[in-house]
Amino acid sequence: MSVEVGSPVAGLAAALGEVPDPVFSQAMVGPGMAIKPSGGRADAVAPIAGTVMTLHPHAFVIASSGGTAVLVHLGIDTVKLKGEGFELHVAKGDVVEAGQRIVSWDPSEVESHGYSSICPVIALEVAPEALADVREDGQVATGDVLFTVSA
Amino acid sequence: MAQDKAAAILAALGGGDNVVEIEPCITRLRCEVEDGSLIDEAALKAAGAHGVMKQGTVVQVVVGPEADTLAEDIEDLR
Repeated sequence: MSVEVGSPVAGLAAALGEVPDPVFSQAMVGPGMAIKPSGGRADAVAPIAGTVMTLHPHAFVIASSGGTAVLVHLGIDTVKLKGEGFELHVAKGDVVEAGQRIVSWDPSEVESHGYSSICPVIALEVAPEALADVREDGQVATGDVLFTVSA
Repeated sequence: MAQDKAAAILAALGGGDNVVEIEPCITRLRCEVEDGSLIDEAALKAAGAHGVMKQGTVVQVVVGPEADTLAEDIEDLR
């Protein structure tokens, strides 16, 4: 069974290697890709349907019933913003649909604090071969399929 | 099992007395220690860390999404 992973934000697709954080660029927690968000305040949405497994203001993990877990990180080192500018719309343990809004945030505000707003989208703890149909580059809209993960 | 992992990580950080602060992020533990030379990177990896990034007295231990739970377990042990 494979799961389609949709983009949590709108922006420019990029390779994980472009993320200025070795945990993501070296795929230490799993393979995936990244989106450079375009525009101002927007919603970040669930990339897959499932349960909100982990929730921080600046990052979240959704786990599907089949066991596929996808991590979305909104910007790099944004834990240091301590939730400022991030508005959560769900709680840990909630069951969400793909495309449902999870967090409202403002990538340009994150940049104004000196942090990168790039968003890694990671299939947690799977082999790189589990990813297929990976979007190479170009503009993506919220919800566009970035890649599929076979569980 | 999780308690064992927490104990192993705490030991590899030089023990409870060496740890100043542990802050969980979604994929990693950001730890500040008194004495950076007491950090045992090999032991951290043996305890299940995907990666270890050390800068002076600050060490980031990449443990994956269980960072939150692990940090709580480590706090309980201190």
